[in-house]
Amino acid sequence: MPMSSSGEPIRDIFRSNGHGPTEYRRVYVWELPVRSYHWINATALVALCITGYLIGHPVHILYAPEAYQQYWFGWVRFIHFTSAWVYIMNFFARLYWGFVGNKYAKWRTFLPLKKSQRQEIVEVIKADVLQVKMHGPISTGHNSLAAFIYFLTFIVFLLQMITGCALYAPMSTSWLPHLFAWVVPLLGSDFRVRFWHHIFLWFFVCFVIVHIYLAFYHDYIEGRGTISSIVGGWKFERVKDAK
Amino acid sequence: MGQSIWQSMEKKGYSRREFLQFCAAAATVAGLGKSGAAQVVSAFEKREKPAVVWMHFQECTCCSESFLRASHPIVLDVLLDVLSLNYTETLMAASGLQAEKSLNDTIQNNKGKYIVLVEGAVPTHDGGVYCMIGGKTAESILQTVAKDAAAVVAWGSCASNGCVQAAKPNPTGATPIHKLVDKPVINVPGCPPIADVMMGVVTHLLVLGQVPALDSLNRPKEFYGRRVHDTCYRRPNYDAGLFVESWDDENARRGYCLYKMGCKGPVTYNACSVVKWNEGTSYPIQSGHGCIGCSEEGFWDNGPFYQHLPSFPGFGVESTADTIGTIVGVTTLAGVAAHAVVTNVRKQRVIAEVHAEEQKES
Amino acid sequence: MTRVVVDPITRIEGHLRIEAVVENGVITDAYSAGTMVRGLEKILVGRDPRDAWAITERVCGVCTTVHALTSVRAVESALGISVPPTAELIRNIMMTTQYVQDHVIHFYHLHALDWVDIVNALKADPKKAAEIAASYSSWDKNTAAYFSSVQDKIKAFAASGLGIFANGYWGHPAYKLPPEVNLIAVAHYLDALEWQKEIVKIHAVFGGKNPHPNYLVGGVPCSISTNEVAAINSDRLNLVSSLISQATEFVNQVYIPDVLTVAGFYKDWAKWGGGLSNYLSYGEFPTKGYNQPESFRYARGVVLNRDLSQVHPVNARDTQEIKEYIAHSWYTYEGGDSTGLHPWSGETNLNYTGPKPPFETLEGHDKYSFLKTPRWKEQPMEVGPLARLIVSYASGHTDVKELVGQTLGKLNVPTDALFSTLGRTAARAIDAKLAMTWLVEYFNELMTRVRMNEVSTFNGERWEPKTWPSECEGVGLTEAPRGALAHFIKIRNGAIENYQLVVPTTWNGSPRDARQQRSSFEQALIGTPVANLEQPVEILRTIHSFDPCLACAVH
Ligand code: HEM
Ligand code: HEM
Ligand code: NFV
Ligand code: SF4
Ligand code: SF4
Ligand code: F3S
Ligand SMILES: [Mg+2]
Repeated sequence: MPMSSSGEPIRDIFRSNGHGPTEYRRVYVWELPVRSYHWINATALVALCITGYLIGHPVHILYAPEAYQQYWFGWVRFIHFTSAWVYIMNFFARLYWGFVGNKYAKWRTFLPLKKSQRQEIVEVIKADVLQVKMHGPISTGHNSLAAFIYFLTFIVFLLQMITGCALYAPMSTSWLPHLFAWVVPLLGSDFRVRFWHHIFLWFFVCFVIVHIYLAFYHDYIEGRGTISSIVGGWKFERVKDAK
Repeated sequence: MGQSIWQSMEKKGYSRREFLQFCAAAATVAGLGKSGAAQVVSAFEKREKPAVVWMHFQECTCCSESFLRASHPIVLDVLLDVLSLNYTETLMAASGLQAEKSLNDTIQNNKGKYIVLVEGAVPTHDGGVYCMIGGKTAESILQTVAKDAAAVVAWGSCASNGCVQAAKPNPTGATPIHKLVDKPVINVPGCPPIADVMMGVVTHLLVLGQVPALDSLNRPKEFYGRRVHDTCYRRPNYDAGLFVESWDDENARRGYCLYKMGCKGPVTYNACSVVKWNEGTSYPIQSGHGCIGCSEEGFWDNGPFYQHLPSFPGFGVESTADTIGTIVGVTTLAGVAAHAVVTNVRKQRVIAEVHAEEQKES
Repeated sequence: MTRVVVDPITRIEGHLRIEAVVENGVITDAYSAGTMVRGLEKILVGRDPRDAWAITERVCGVCTTVHALTSVRAVESALGISVPPTAELIRNIMMTTQYVQDHVIHFYHLHALDWVDIVNALKADPKKAAEIAASYSSWDKNTAAYFSSVQDKIKAFAASGLGIFANGYWGHPAYKLPPEVNLIAVAHYLDALEWQKEIVKIHAVFGGKNPHPNYLVGGVPCSISTNEVAAINSDRLNLVSSLISQATEFVNQVYIPDVLTVAGFYKDWAKWGGGLSNYLSYGEFPTKGYNQPESFRYARGVVLNRDLSQVHPVNARDTQEIKEYIAHSWYTYEGGDSTGLHPWSGETNLNYTGPKPPFETLEGHDKYSFLKTPRWKEQPMEVGPLARLIVSYASGHTDVKELVGQTLGKLNVPTDALFSTLGRTAARAIDAKLAMTWLVEYFNELMTRVRMNEVSTFNGERWEPKTWPSECEGVGLTEAPRGALAHFIKIRNGAIENYQLVVPTTWNGSPRDARQQRSSFEQALIGTPVANLEQPVEILRTIHSFDPCLACAVH
């Protein structure tokens, strides 16, 4: 029988907490557009990070001595730019879904506009980050802290798109990158734009590490199928918790 | 005074044919192409020699030196025939009082018509005492000459973006010209700018009497619209991933791309790879050294030159964004791992509860 | 007693102000003030030592190249790097090219108008001019038709206001050349302007551009390969070879004969402008590596009191030899303003205490310049082509001795004539001719190496900062066209901790030192006659004979 830290049998704590037998029900949280956004985004981003890093640090590949015989670096850049387009369009699709999607996908969830959301942020920090509390709030969609961090991430997504487009403008005939040509004079030079574009790479690396870890963490701590939710869309909710 | 450029050239024994050749060269340099020659011819036939003053402030005179290296139209013609260069401390015969007189006369007699070419930045700290000429500060001289000028050109990186004296910590408060005068300034950056580019700007402005098309940084588009990288002859090697890995290695001798040696061609807008230097003899990359970005704002503070990305501000010379990024990434991983361990210790009860729920159901 | 102010001094590099005290038509005291500063020594601190060449190269675009070379030498000396012989040769080629270009430009475009009356050239008979020119040079361009076309040019030019030649001291009685010689000189002024852009193509070949060609710590950035189109190959070397021939012809048939001819009319200037009697040269043009100064073409050393029988050794690393003072300069030293500091512990703390601009004079101000005052064993030194020749002459370098002897013979003046305004200008021409000869030799040696496929141009052992000691210090010495140039560097943890430049024009143009000893400019002006206080052409003659570079001097 598993023991709690205080040494009492689990079943007893359970009873003393007043929990009855636990029932779960399925909730369709992530609609298909959200799921497909998620995996397209994840794939494009990984591709962008890897190719971006390679653009910054070309490896020593020399399978032919003449330029007309090999083109690997060109391909790396091609993949970067193609993924960039996918990534940008996908992002706009998600923005659209933020207005027409279900309540879990709505743009409002990402901004702590309501007092209850701000309180939830504090609670989540106490329970999951600092772990000074045993039980935190359990939300069906994103918890408020996660949502807010996604919001900040979206901003960095945007900055990365803007700096990327600014760098892309001089080599592109498309109108979209040219919308952001003003970024260069703003930061002073291509140097600086490239520098920031490169710095953000490391933000994404850190984000992905923490993000994937937290997916596992929540799955582990809550046991409600967090990870599978982003594949199938369904999460499990305690009937008692449901409003 | 009062004669057209053609008249003045004719007087000096130029034949009509030589004159037309000169115009064709001027048109090419001004980026007007062959078809622009007619425009130049009519401009030269009608326009008076424009009065020009060339100011020297915080600089190294390499812009003047570069100007003297121009191929077409030959410098001499420009100096003697096409414009009336009344003030330039590097070449003018007069000194002291007589030099000041040349300057003042030009301003007085050509109000609203003369052109100011500025070489050098202007120090603004401590009342401007870090550059004084004839007992006056560069700052006050600039205001005086710019006031009634028809146009102001900022030669070189010094005048257009501050250049080396404005590099951190900019001890004298060196400031580019466009930040000091309330007139549009044509920026012709480069350290120095390419002679033929300077001549192109002069031809446009002084000979044709028109301001060339400018970009958002007020640089003539025709010379600063492309990156060195876009037209670099080593570009195929870049795309192929063929890089010089260390100085004077086999790859360097083969002329592979200098990207990994820190070449700033991909972030530098200049005409070097097309116009080239010294009548097309070479340009930095052609002679084996990467571009250092000498026409870009703040290029001195984006070093070290032999690194692809600048050092991260506030850290040592050797720390690039990636060293810092790797440290942050590894720290994040470690943090996450620590969190996982702590979770298993502190949240044992919660985990147990979840398992208990499961037990109950079974 | 009148205080004559000349500011701006034009036809130099940078911002120089001379205030001369004239009594009864003769200069009795003088003050030389550099009035522009950029603080590059402060900007260098904290940067990668491998970048320093590029930053210091921007000290000056007239003597471009020389600071870059001095800087890479300083860093290499600190890190213990020796460069491959082929790289050394290319550096020598760059430097000799600079000598020749710089000196020709100086003579025709910066100095000549002190001696040549452009307006007077209008009176010349072109036919006679051609005869005179033919008597001392076989240059085929020197024809009557050519001189007459130049005269027409000047005529039209004079009619339209004279542009850059306006308000010169034309007609001043100090101009002594016959109209024909004036005309020849003006024609060659124009030719030299066209010519100078050719010779610098040598810089473009090896360094990518001029002004400001590229350098590299550990060697030179260009690679050599006769099998590749993108390297320094036979085509590029042919170009250099033809540029060298063209330059040789110009120096031998135009520049040198013109200097001698013009000098012949101004022998009285062998009396004035001698100035100091100490001469310093660091020596230049390594033939067996930079660490063997005995092998240099120009000798290293000091000559004191014009005593040619003795050459004193110079050691820039000895912290007691070279020191910089700021007793009369707009700086402060933490240890007090009357102390001298060896450049390794040098300081650059700007502190302007002069009159509030706009001002009329610097009179009554104890500090009056942005130049620091360098001293060798507390003594002021003249540096430059003249000092180079004197030190090498006294060291017994035969090629130098011969050429100096020949030149003095042709002018028919005694050796003492060297110590003067005239001597300084003649010395520069001799310097250019020697450099021209050596340039040819270096190029031939380079060709030999290429033939033997000894083409390595870079030593990368200490390229990576992790191979460097955590602390080290170095000195780079060169003979720049204007004289002895030194860069002092201290490196700590891969970054520049201190960087100080002691530049030729700093030696020559500085204010007096803590002991009130004058430097070259001030000393050389004393005793010079000034005929017309409104048109002090005599001041320009002596000052220009030093070829001042103020951007260098202050940096
Ligand atoms: C969001 C994830 C992205 C990451 C992590 C990323 C990362 C990088 C990195 C590290 C570099 C190399 C920078 C250097 O060291 O010089 C780079 C280059 C570049 N990126 Fe991105 N990037 C991303 C998105 C984008 C987007 C959306 C665009 C938009 C078009 C873009 C366009 C570019 C361009 C044009 C370059 C310069 C490539 C070249 O000139 O060869 N990137 N990227
Ligand atoms: C490059 C990799 C990834 C990126 C950039 C990324 C990004 C994101 C973003 C932006 C969201 C918010 C989605 C929305 O509301 O539209 C999200 C949600 C989610 N992601 Fe990822 N993701 C990545 C990889 C993964 C992986 C590998 C997993 C699973 C192991 C995962 C699991 C989840 C889950 C479960 C959610 C929903 C979280 C919640 O309930 O708040 N993600 N992800
Ligand atoms: N003085 C000086 Fe220079 C020289 N030659 C440098 O070291 O001129 Ni600009
Ligand atoms: S821009 Fe560069 S080359 Fe021109 S004066 Fe400034 S430092 Fe010299
Ligand atoms: S050498 Fe420089 S400019 Fe040329 S292709 Fe390579 S990175 Fe681009
Ligand atoms: S360093 Fe300057 S000269 Fe051209 S190749 Fe780069 S812009
Ligand atoms: Mg100094």
